[in-house]
Amino acid sequence: MNPKYRRLFITIIIVLTLGLATKLILMALEENIVYFYTPNDLIEKFGNAQNIQNKMRIGGLVLESSIKKEGKKTIFIITDRKEEVKVVFDGSLPDLFREGQGIVAEGIFKNNNFIASEVLAKHDENYMPPEVADALKKNNVWKGESD
Amino acid sequence: MIPELGHILVIITFVISTMQCCYWLYNLKHTNIDVVRVLQKGSLINFLFIFLSFLILTYSFITSDFSLLIVSNNSHTLKPLIYKISGVWGNHEGSLLLWVLILSAFTFFVSFKNSINSKHLSSIIGVQTVILSLFLAFILFTSNPFERVDELPLDGKGLNPLLQDPGLALHPPMLYIGYVGLSVSFSFAVAALITGEINKNWARQMRPWIAIAWSALTIGIALGSWWAYYELGWGGWWFWDPVENASFMPWLVATALLHCVRILEKKLIFINWTILLSILAFSFSLLGTFIVRSGLLTSVHAFASDPSRGVFILIILGISIGVPLILYTIKSSSFNEEKGNFDIVSKESAILVNNLFLTTATLTVLIGTLYPLFLDAINGNKVSIGPAYYNATFAPIMAPVVFLMAIAPFLNWKKYTDKNFIKKIIFLSAVTFLGGTLLYLIEEKSIFALISGSLSIWLFTGVITDLISKIREAKVKLQNIKQLFFFMSKINLGIHVAHIGVAIFLAGVTGEQFYKSEYNVIKKVGDIINIGTKSLKFDKIENIDGPNYNSLMATFTLYENKKFISKLRPEKRFYTNEKSQTTEAAILSDFWGDTYLVLGEGDNKTGWSLRIYSNPLVSWIWAGAFFMAVGGILSVTQKSSRFRNI
Repeated sequence: MNPKYRRLFITIIIVLTLGLATKLILMALEENIVYFYTPNDLIEKFGNAQNIQNKMRIGGLVLESSIKKEGKKTIFIITDRKEEVKVVFDGSLPDLFREGQGIVAEGIFKNNNFIASEVLAKHDENYMPPEVADALKKNNVWKGESD
Repeated sequence: MIPELGHILVIITFVISTMQCCYWLYNLKHTNIDVVRVLQKGSLINFLFIFLSFLILTYSFITSDFSLLIVSNNSHTLKPLIYKISGVWGNHEGSLLLWVLILSAFTFFVSFKNSINSKHLSSIIGVQTVILSLFLAFILFTSNPFERVDELPLDGKGLNPLLQDPGLALHPPMLYIGYVGLSVSFSFAVAALITGEINKNWARQMRPWIAIAWSALTIGIALGSWWAYYELGWGGWWFWDPVENASFMPWLVATALLHCVRILEKKLIFINWTILLSILAFSFSLLGTFIVRSGLLTSVHAFASDPSRGVFILIILGISIGVPLILYTIKSSSFNEEKGNFDIVSKESAILVNNLFLTTATLTVLIGTLYPLFLDAINGNKVSIGPAYYNATFAPIMAPVVFLMAIAPFLNWKKYTDKNFIKKIIFLSAVTFLGGTLLYLIEEKSIFALISGSLSIWLFTGVITDLISKIREAKVKLQNIKQLFFFMSKINLGIHVAHIGVAIFLAGVTGEQFYKSEYNVIKKVGDIINIGTKSLKFDKIENIDGPNYNSLMATFTLYENKKFISKLRPEKRFYTNEKSQTTEAAILSDFWGDTYLVLGEGDNKTGWSLRIYSNPLVSWIWAGAFFMAVGGILSVTQKSSRFRNI
């Protein structure tokens, strides 16, 4: 192939691929981003909405003596010491799930319950998910050192 | 006293390497063999001193010298020996020393490659040494591994129990060999920019280093993924976690580079692109090291975040990425390319498309990794980007890569001449169609399962077809083992092995992603759980003492069609020193898949919650990665340039 045509050919392919990739990325970013809220943010943003279909993450502390078991389901309350959200989860809890522990739950809002598909806590007793730490600092309940 | 010796060795090496840098820069205009000799000696000394210093640190860990800060923070007398050793790099300071050790080793090995012309070689050693002294400064000023404690503790704090694992003991060294290995091709590129000279020998000399780094990186990433699979107890093997991405991006760029440099070995075209890729590959390695270590992304990998380190990191990144890129913009137009015509259907085109797609794929990963940080900085929104994003962007971009991977090796360099090309494509399509139909009949899953499974069959058939046709062309008799061996040693078998690795990997991914099943149950001792043709009997649950932990261990018996297969023993471990708990899944692997059993919460009265996964073909994922790495190593031993069109 003549170098001139080659250059043209290469340019066209590059433009097409990058264009397609950009399109894919933008679409995926729009659809698949999961926002993080603290219980307080959630109420500020959505008011008293009972159902929110978008997947989201909420984070905070597991409220003391709020953990209940119903068969395979675990029900507990996440708090940022301002507002509270009731979480329903039927799956296996991480090793460090316990009262007062900072956790993040991912799921959707249904009938005023947060139906979690995943509950995350890190593997270290001192660890606080950074989003949770930030949120708690904002509410002046976080006493630990910044991590 | 001994640890101080380690510290002094690091200081001396820092001084020597800095002097070496000055010497190199001073002689930049008039390099000759004598300059190279001096630099060679310097790199030998650097390597020896750092090696000694690393040995001293290891010795401190083995003997549990708790007067050292990092030993007391990361080790414990009761820890098994192998984890005392792996504890050396299980922390920020020690892992940096390992990084520097590997860097000095690579510098030493490349410096004695006298087949590289001395102009290039002196600059290669020079650039390597600049990186070395920057990192030594980083260690000395912000992350001294030999720092003493003020007050001697009774015992150490121990290593994070999750990290006490044989797979993970090797994960950082392999990963680092990969990251740091890419510094060599980076130095080749910068040397070409500095001297303004480039030739085929340059490309030929550079490729083995890329291949070694790439193979090590492959193994390193695979080990990390394997560890996540069996240790984290979620049954997953890749989470698109930012930290995983940080190691995956250099891998993608290095893969592109590994292919691209082969064009340059044939003909001096796409010089600038090759140089840019070499610079980018190592930049991503540096970014990977730092993004992980700086605590910018939080995870098990983030050891410590200290603002003074952050500034230093920025300086190192600025010098090692910025300067070459500036040099690139100034000098890259000065290279003379050969006049190289090639057909649209040729190896060159295929490799170019490969490069384009791989870099685009890297871009999607980069955006997915950085976008949350970006959004947080802009408006404080906290978001996370999970697998769904990558399935929608990365997967569709990589699918054509796999598609082309099967047929590109059929193509010749430069010209479309192979008359059998269309025949081969028809054969591949037929086999893939049959395979795909079979897959559809076995178990109907989503269209993506079908695409991914078919691509794996397509690639597998492609590689085998290519190998057979090459054997036929060479008229090798298969019965004649000696002749066959000779032939195998002449063709670039590494390519075939690595590509088969991708096919195996993809088969594993297909099985794990689309055909796995999960069961969540609550059972008491004595109960039986049925999963397909298999059944699990809950025998007992008991407390057992390990070397540095207490374990709650359940015992199950696995039967298949009423026949005894194996005992499974999932555990929950409580590490008393570290005050933390880990879940040890019980995994039974065979050729066709894994049975993965996790013990959850519970008690004997209400029963224990259990999670059981059936993961078809999952071990093929790591087997595939292993094949890729072996292919990479094999390609080092063969000089493809000697053989036309192979």
